[in-house]
Amino acid sequence: MIPLTWDMVVQGLVEAGRILGLLAVGVVVLELFAYFVFHRWLKLKHSLPLMLMLPALVAVAALIIYPFGFNLKLAFSNMSMYRFKNFSVGLSYGIENFLDVFRAPVLQNVTFLKLLLRTVVWTAVNVVFHVLGGLFLAILLNRPLKGKAIYRTLLTIPWAIPQVIAALAWKNEFHYQYGFVNAMLKQLGFAPVQWLSDPRWAFVAVIIVNIWLGIPFMMVILLGGLQSISPEYYDAAQIDGASGWQQFRSITMPLLKPVLIPATVLGVVWTFNNFNVIYLITRGGPMEGTDILVTSLYKAVFEFYRYGFGAAYSTVILIILLLFTWVHLRITRGMGEAEGA
Amino acid sequence: MKRAFVLTLTSLLLVALLLPVGAFAQKKVTFTLWTKEGEVAGGALEDIVALSKEFIKTRPGLTMEIVSYGVEDLRQNFQAAAFAGQGPDLLWTVSDHAGPFVAMEIIKPVDDIFGAEFLEGFVRPGLEVVELEGKTWGVPISVGNHLMLLYNKKLLPEAPQNTDEMIKVGQELTVDVDNDGMPDQYGLVYNLNEPFFFAPWLGGFGGWPLDGVTPTLDTPGMVGALQFVHDLKFVHKIVPVECDYDAADSLFKEGKAAMLVNGDWSIAEYQTPEVKANVELGIARIPMISETGLWPAPMTSGIYFMIPDYLDDEKVAIAKEFVEFISSDEVQVLFLEKHMRLPATATALAHPSISTDPLLKGSADQMVVGKPMPTVPEMRAAWDAIRPNQEAVMAGKMTAEAAAKAMQEAAEKLIREMNK
Repeated sequence: MIPLTWDMVVQGLVEAGRILGLLAVGVVVLELFAYFVFHRWLKLKHSLPLMLMLPALVAVAALIIYPFGFNLKLAFSNMSMYRFKNFSVGLSYGIENFLDVFRAPVLQNVTFLKLLLRTVVWTAVNVVFHVLGGLFLAILLNRPLKGKAIYRTLLTIPWAIPQVIAALAWKNEFHYQYGFVNAMLKQLGFAPVQWLSDPRWAFVAVIIVNIWLGIPFMMVILLGGLQSISPEYYDAAQIDGASGWQQFRSITMPLLKPVLIPATVLGVVWTFNNFNVIYLITRGGPMEGTDILVTSLYKAVFEFYRYGFGAAYSTVILIILLLFTWVHLRITRGMGEAEGA
Repeated sequence: MKRAFVLTLTSLLLVALLLPVGAFAQKKVTFTLWTKEGEVAGGALEDIVALSKEFIKTRPGLTMEIVSYGVEDLRQNFQAAAFAGQGPDLLWTVSDHAGPFVAMEIIKPVDDIFGAEFLEGFVRPGLEVVELEGKTWGVPISVGNHLMLLYNKKLLPEAPQNTDEMIKVGQELTVDVDNDGMPDQYGLVYNLNEPFFFAPWLGGFGGWPLDGVTPTLDTPGMVGALQFVHDLKFVHKIVPVECDYDAADSLFKEGKAAMLVNGDWSIAEYQTPEVKANVELGIARIPMISETGLWPAPMTSGIYFMIPDYLDDEKVAIAKEFVEFISSDEVQVLFLEKHMRLPATATALAHPSISTDPLLKGSADQMVVGKPMPTVPEMRAAWDAIRPNQEAVMAGKMTAEAAAKAMQEAAEKLIREMNK
């Protein structure tokens, strides 16, 4: 290891300071420009709100809109290893790229449809377990309990560990001979499983790791939701003689919904796009058996150099997620309106 | 009044922000080197940092930044950086990156920068690896990077000469001490599913992944080699059921494996005092394939300097001086003696320690039967075609014949897409 010296710290701080300084200067210049244009020259009524919004707008344009536009441009290009700097853009390239997503295997054998299906299974199984596990633990923690703070801290540990480290540690735990998982199985009298060489078991292994990683987040969010429910409702229900299950169904669930729904949407989008766990544990293998859409996208672009194709492919994935969010919002909004009426 | 206040405040803020920036902004040149050497205690990276400090001593105003990446990250990050037209000033990386980098036009040929006389100082095979389109695209730092047989003399006094012997002693040394159905000591360990570790066997069965730029994967050599590695696991049972690089490395270090196939980069790690307690290291050629009478042919390549295409003349001049500094006999011998890397210059390669040190001698002896790793971009397709099918054979889910056929088809498809 190269030791960290004061010299390095100072150098790092100077670098960071310089960048922040430049950013601040940029903002000041931008604001002065906006002040003279909007207020002095155009004499706009809303010049102040515009000025206040401008830095954020510029940041969004630079960090989201421009890269997105560039990605679309690449989707309509023939950029590849041999045309890395001198690629051409045209409608025919775009059509070709988008058709390629559906008509040929994305990697070697695995097709788009299969990957989509696998991604849906991966997302559904994960999110269902995240929500159920998180809810279960949150309800437990919401009761009067001795040493609650200790339990809460212990239960959030998977969330606090950097994903990379957690994934690599789990990879070793799934080792056929030396891993903890097979050791447990053997103790329980089961035959050891080839977790990382059999594609089906490898898929189960990555799902287990991701469930383990995702439960604490749901637990914390749902615990917050539970704590905001006034105990008066439960008192009233108990007076009316409602059972525990009735209380859960008629008080806890409806009042938890405003927290549960956005958390689930976030969970779905994150899990759908979760690259780290799979890539670090199996790299999509063995035999492309654990690849999901995003890992295959990564491979297509960075291992197979198919930049134009990859950009088109990523656009397709984006459209799928947009569709999901739209449908989900319509359903949940519809439910909200029905309840309101 | 109000306006004057705002204006004063704004200008004060501006001055305050500019001042610290100006105070720190000295006229300096920063030269950035990206290296594939990892942060291992006592590893090559520490020496690179030390050498860079020595290098800047005589060059006031110059700072050198050494950034370490994994081999794959280095390739990807450099591609992204080069696309944006800015990034590191010099690369310290493996030869197989030359193929894609040349195709992408993101590195410079080195012939004109260094001149023929300087390049002639390097051993021919070292330069050949990075010759593409009639030009040289890198300056060798060390040659080899090849796999070899490492064995623990405490378990196995003499290395086996052929694979029949290897299997025989392997079976004797694969022992289940506690009778739990799983061996606690293995005859042979290596990264079973990694194509690079499969290449020596392929060579030993007379196959090779590419002929020029054409994939040659559906061959009797491939079938024979796949069957061989399959049998090591399923028939002879001298390798663990699952074994990746880290597992192999740990088993060997703990003295729980008699033989290990690993590369020259790893030799120094097995020489540390903690490991020496369990391992008395010996190095030999990977045993001759009894069926064919051929030596397994590990891929040889090396570590190279590559110069980004976007580099301006000022930085090229610095890069040239640094490369010449590292190519000096003094530095080459340092890497030889401390890290067991075979030097790239003819003069350093004649150093007496290569013929006297048994480990270095073993490494050099293995390199003789190695074959240069193809640097053409098509090799990438071959690797990617081999991997999933090799995994399938090693999982017992595909026959060697079917895997060889699938590899060939996959490689052809990948190359078609690459060239599209």
